[in-house]
Amino acid sequence: MKRHLIGALAAGLSVALGVSGCGKGSSSDDGGSDGKTIKFVAAIYSDNTKPFWDGLIKDFEAKNSGYKVQLEMVDWTQMDAKVKTYVQTKQVPDVLNYNAFSDFARDGLIYKASEVVSPAVLSDFTPTFTEQAKYNGEQYGLPFISSARLMFYNKALFGKAGIKDAPKTWDEVKADAEKVKRGGAIGYGLPLGPEEAQAEFYSWAMNNGGGWVNPAGKWAINQPANVDTLTFLRNLTKSGLTQPNPETTDRKTVFNQFAQGKIGLAIGGPFTKASFIDPVNKSLEFGVAPLPSKSGTEHNTLGVMDVLAAFKKNDGKNKEAVQKFLDFFYQKDNTAKFLTKEGFLPVTKSAGDVLSSDPYMKQFVDALPTSKFAPTGNPAWTSVAGAVKQSLGTSVAGSEPKKVLDKIQETAEKAG
Amino acid sequence: MQDVKLRARDAGASAPAPRPSALRRIGLALTPLLWLGPSLVLIAVVVLWPVAEMVRTSLLKISSSGVTLGDRGGGNYTDLFDEDDLVPVVLRTVGWVAGVVITTMVLSLAIGQLLNARFPGRRLVRWAVIVPWAASVLMTSLIWKWMLDNYSGVVNRVLLDLHLIDKPENWLAHPRGAMLWMMWVAVFVSLPFASFVILAGLQTIPEDVYEAARVDGAGPFRTYFGITLPLLRPAILIASIINVINVFNSFPIIWAMTGGGPGHATDTTTTFMYKLAFYDQNVGESAAMAVVNFLMILVMVLLYLRASRWREEVR
Repeated sequence: MKRHLIGALAAGLSVALGVSGCGKGSSSDDGGSDGKTIKFVAAIYSDNTKPFWDGLIKDFEAKNSGYKVQLEMVDWTQMDAKVKTYVQTKQVPDVLNYNAFSDFARDGLIYKASEVVSPAVLSDFTPTFTEQAKYNGEQYGLPFISSARLMFYNKALFGKAGIKDAPKTWDEVKADAEKVKRGGAIGYGLPLGPEEAQAEFYSWAMNNGGGWVNPAGKWAINQPANVDTLTFLRNLTKSGLTQPNPETTDRKTVFNQFAQGKIGLAIGGPFTKASFIDPVNKSLEFGVAPLPSKSGTEHNTLGVMDVLAAFKKNDGKNKEAVQKFLDFFYQKDNTAKFLTKEGFLPVTKSAGDVLSSDPYMKQFVDALPTSKFAPTGNPAWTSVAGAVKQSLGTSVAGSEPKKVLDKIQETAEKAG
Repeated sequence: MQDVKLRARDAGASAPAPRPSALRRIGLALTPLLWLGPSLVLIAVVVLWPVAEMVRTSLLKISSSGVTLGDRGGGNYTDLFDEDDLVPVVLRTVGWVAGVVITTMVLSLAIGQLLNARFPGRRLVRWAVIVPWAASVLMTSLIWKWMLDNYSGVVNRVLLDLHLIDKPENWLAHPRGAMLWMMWVAVFVSLPFASFVILAGLQTIPEDVYEAARVDGAGPFRTYFGITLPLLRPAILIASIINVINVFNSFPIIWAMTGGGPGHATDTTTTFMYKLAFYDQNVGESAAMAVVNFLMILVMVLLYLRASRWREEVR
């Protein structure tokens, strides 16, 4: 009898596996054929994200009867793998919240922005972001949230070291870091680990006339200004002015240490206060200043933008529902509510006015016009950023800056 | 067995002649399929199909977004073999597997022996040994990562308090040290399974063999190497093969503790494969790495089986 049971179980299991296995390959989508039900894949930014979307979708469905939005929340650490699987198995969502769009545009997978949002929404986007959302001169991405980076400094440590103002030049950074170090703290928190090495490096390189591409738009990762920048960061590390092992340190570690008052200087974003400092020490005395530059004359800010992308499905049948949903989200109050909850900066003019009332946020909103972005419009950027995340940090440990940058340049040219 | 007879009689009933007809003979020949079928289907679906799919993917050109752009022949393989990091990563993987498996087997022989001995509280100890196995590997790795943390790790705290070191050590930042710590975690999570297989093996050794040895005047040392160890061979074989496969493919420990970094300094083929797909955006090359990985493990297991003359065990 027992054997019978096991046999039956095995048969049942294999049938179940076979059925689900076959389901994987087919390109059918669940319930989307009437064009009124859409699937939205959203990234998890914090614990506030899901409640926000749940509320917004409920509201949207109440106001647009017959339309339905299926929400799927995905953690950032799994996002890349998920998105590739969606595309590979032809099960793309109708709307995706992601940090890249240009390779979808290149492969003809997504709608142009003008096809899925109303002209009013389209003209409400801040021009800086519209520019970043273009592929081959056409806007495909829908700017979703933005962020900027500024220099955070610990006022208590600075006071103790006898420093009055935040550093404006690289020489001052080095001098201030030395003074802070003499007081027993870490001078500069340098995160060159895989989490966001590309953002940290670019924040320095852009203030030395360096960057990812040359004026003609060709990859220029091993240009002298970049080598110079990396050499400066390497020297900071070798002189013991940073935390130990920047090559394996991620941003979150640096900001936890900053929040505990153990780091003098570190580059942070608008989210740094709500997500890192407040939970540890609400009364930490810190200041926010422009990113220091080598010469001290011009101060650029790193801008970061996430997007929404609308996928083509069922020969365009989903377009109407997608537009209804997107237009609903881009209403001033809905967008502003999301931004304030998550601590991000606006991408639309209307929401910008709402956010500028907070003095802490205002510093970042004001910095946006001078911000420079990674070349997200280039489909090869994702793999370049991947190469940077993996290997840039090694340049402050064993490898030579020039060699590391040469190799990334090689990867970039191969990727396109 | 009863079922087989029943089934055979049923099949016979439908045949017209009492003499075994062609139909009946076919029926008889096919009967085993009823029993084998489910497992054959299972193997085909969960083993063979993914392997075929993996090989197929490694021959495709896949865009960074995930769209299949067509056939690429061996291009993904030439790309893979052109990677400067490939050889060090493969060598490291071999060292990682050998180090972890050998240490695990030596330790688990001792632990198995301990668990087999009679002493008060044996049940408790047996349960305790299972714990690392029951806990999720990812959880164990994360706990170790935090224990070894530069700023708040308990390992540094203890060593500082004992004055063995005078400033915190960033254990996981230095490739060699990080590798050793991760091997320790891998040994830690592999021990329960290996020990219990050894324990099961020990319990199959009949008492009278030992009695005979005692009568012949063999000492404990002689008894162990002359009787216990040879009779444990099937258990050691099974435990180490499964351990080799597990450790070879182990992703969570390395991913959680160092992410294979700095650079590729602590990558094994498994984490390298992941990075090819999701950092370098090259799914095809990653699939090629997966095929190479699969072949490596196949060769390793075959070599091992050959070296340990497994055919004798089966007979």
